[in-house]
Amino acid sequence: MVSWIIANPFIAAAVACATGSAILLLWYLLRRPALTNATKLVLLAAIGVLPLATATTGNVAGYEATKARRFCGSCHVMTPYRDDSQDARSAALAARHARNALFGDENCYACHADYGMFGTVTTKLGGLRHVYEYLFHYRNMPLDEAREKIHIRRPFQNATCMHCHSTEGPSWNAIKDHASLLDRVRGGQVSCASAGCHGPAHPFSKPAQTSATPAQPPQPEHVP
Amino acid sequence: MTIWSRFSAPLTLRISAVLTLIGLALMVWSMVEPTPLPVMLAMTVGQGIGTLAFGIYVFIVVRELRREFRRARERDPS
Repeated sequence: MVSWIIANPFIAAAVACATGSAILLLWYLLRRPALTNATKLVLLAAIGVLPLATATTGNVAGYEATKARRFCGSCHVMTPYRDDSQDARSAALAARHARNALFGDENCYACHADYGMFGTVTTKLGGLRHVYEYLFHYRNMPLDEAREKIHIRRPFQNATCMHCHSTEGPSWNAIKDHASLLDRVRGGQVSCASAGCHGPAHPFSKPAQTSATPAQPPQPEHVP
Repeated sequence: MTIWSRFSAPLTLRISAVLTLIGLALMVWSMVEPTPLPVMLAMTVGQGIGTLAFGIYVFIVVRELRREFRRARERDPS
């Protein structure tokens, strides 16, 4: 654990500030010195400056921690997804991406996070909903039942894939299926994760699909 | 006499110190065990307790300073 704390500078700084603050506070509580200006300055450091530094660096460390695969897999209903994606022998789409150094330990977040200016905020709000759902609905659910009942809230968007696979590169377009479906892939009418294309990212969780599926739900027609 | 003036500065600062220790413990817990519950507790309850503790400290220091100014003015009205 010590090496893990030292390896992350934000965690190391937060723990160092918290330790310094705790030492000063314990000194104040145990020695009970007179409330002089010097004591007030010590308390300013112990109650104000050092805890503020702990909270600031701790927030960054906490935010980074929420992107890690082990964070996502810490709810038991997600353990099959975590185990499959970190399985070096798995051929699932999620596992193959996790073996890419650009995704690495943050492969869940890399594919499931929203993009755009407020993408991080909407992703974190969605994460809060996950915690709520887990605590109040799925905490005691057996894994087999969870696999049947828990599904991705919205169909996976091709736009997420296209942040890395831009569909502009010559090697991508050299594949006949890509070239023939180019507009439908970009428009989201055909999902990259369709059966017959790349298949679902977590195949163990999906019933067998026999045909290409849309990446987005059909839009309602506007009636004037 | 308000309810706050009944609490002596050393006692109130000791309460503030204990609250700070609780807040710090929650924050450090979230770093040692980065799972949803500790992280959320640290970012909400932990930081709330820390802010409350610092607010109490500022309140006490300002109150003591005002008392000192008042005493100084009473000693030397000019």
